[in-house]
Amino acid sequence: MSRKEMERFVQTEKQKQFDNNFFSAAENYEAWEEIDFKNAEEIDGENTYEIKAEDLKSYAQACFDQNPLMNDEEAAKKSVWGGLVPHPIFVTPIAFWCIGTKGRGNWIRIPGARNPGQEIEIYENFRVGETIHIKIKPYDRYIKRGKYYMINQIDMYNQNNVKKCSWFITLILPRTKEDIRSFIKGQRGYQD
Amino acid sequence: MSRVTFDSVKAGDALPPITHPVNQDAFWRYAVASLDYNPLHTNPEWVKTAQPFKVPYTVAHGMMTMSFMTTVVTNWAYASGLKLTKIAAKFTKPVAPGWTIKCTGTITEKHVICPGKNYVIVETKAVNQDEEMVAFGEARVLFPD
Repeated sequence: MSRKEMERFVQTEKQKQFDNNFFSAAENYEAWEEIDFKNAEEIDGENTYEIKAEDLKSYAQACFDQNPLMNDEEAAKKSVWGGLVPHPIFVTPIAFWCIGTKGRGNWIRIPGARNPGQEIEIYENFRVGETIHIKIKPYDRYIKRGKYYMINQIDMYNQNNVKKCSWFITLILPRTKEDIRSFIKGQRGYQD
Repeated sequence: MSRVTFDSVKAGDALPPITHPVNQDAFWRYAVASLDYNPLHTNPEWVKTAQPFKVPYTVAHGMMTMSFMTTVVTNWAYASGLKLTKIAAKFTKPVAPGWTIKCTGTITEKHVICPGKNYVIVETKAVNQDEEMVAFGEARVLFPD
């Protein structure tokens, strides 16, 4: 039922293409205890993200942000920025798109994953026309007050290998694959 | 609005706040735009039994709350060409549909380095309609000239 309700808001090409069923590939998601820190080399994300004006505007509008620099291409062109400015948290759709469903970091799609907080370093704003690729590596993993935290470092680069930002993406995850399966079945997969 | 300059700001300055009511439509719209379709935000039926946050209702994306908090800073900074170089937030209480979220920002530190490298730290906060804190954070804002 909620899937149909959400379709009202689909606007952009990427939103139409994106695999938005977080249950379908859940058997492949990395549970907290499965994440391989012995192989901590950074790897490429599954996909690249070509930034279009519709992507920036859709994100700003979903945050109720009416800043003309984020929504009005003509106004933004005349500003000191020379073009549309992304909302700083626009890193979110880039990460979900680029990480994909199969490889490292796919734990961000685990049904029931909880967000305790985030930290993002911005070196340069994204711009329309750039194609972003990401490098991902496991950064830290810890237990605190009965909750299992996982952090990946995601570095985002444009097509010229200019680093745009670094995101220490942190989530509280189900500890085991069985816990993920509980969530898939609609049961609570946490013990805290 | 007059241009913000490094000389014109000081620790203790409050940025104009923003307020947004949120509901399930807002969660769905944000899920589509962010590509984050975690059912704890999008599926009211699933969450009744799965309850990741031990509550039987959907909650807002933390990144949506963080976006609101960041907007307080960008509303103030971007028109003057100031640059956000770091944003951080911690989420302290899940946001339920039907709540109203108010976000504030206060300059707490003024780092006097040299022209082109001066920056300020803005502490941000988000509370609900009952003044309960739902998130806090900070942003680093660079003055490029």
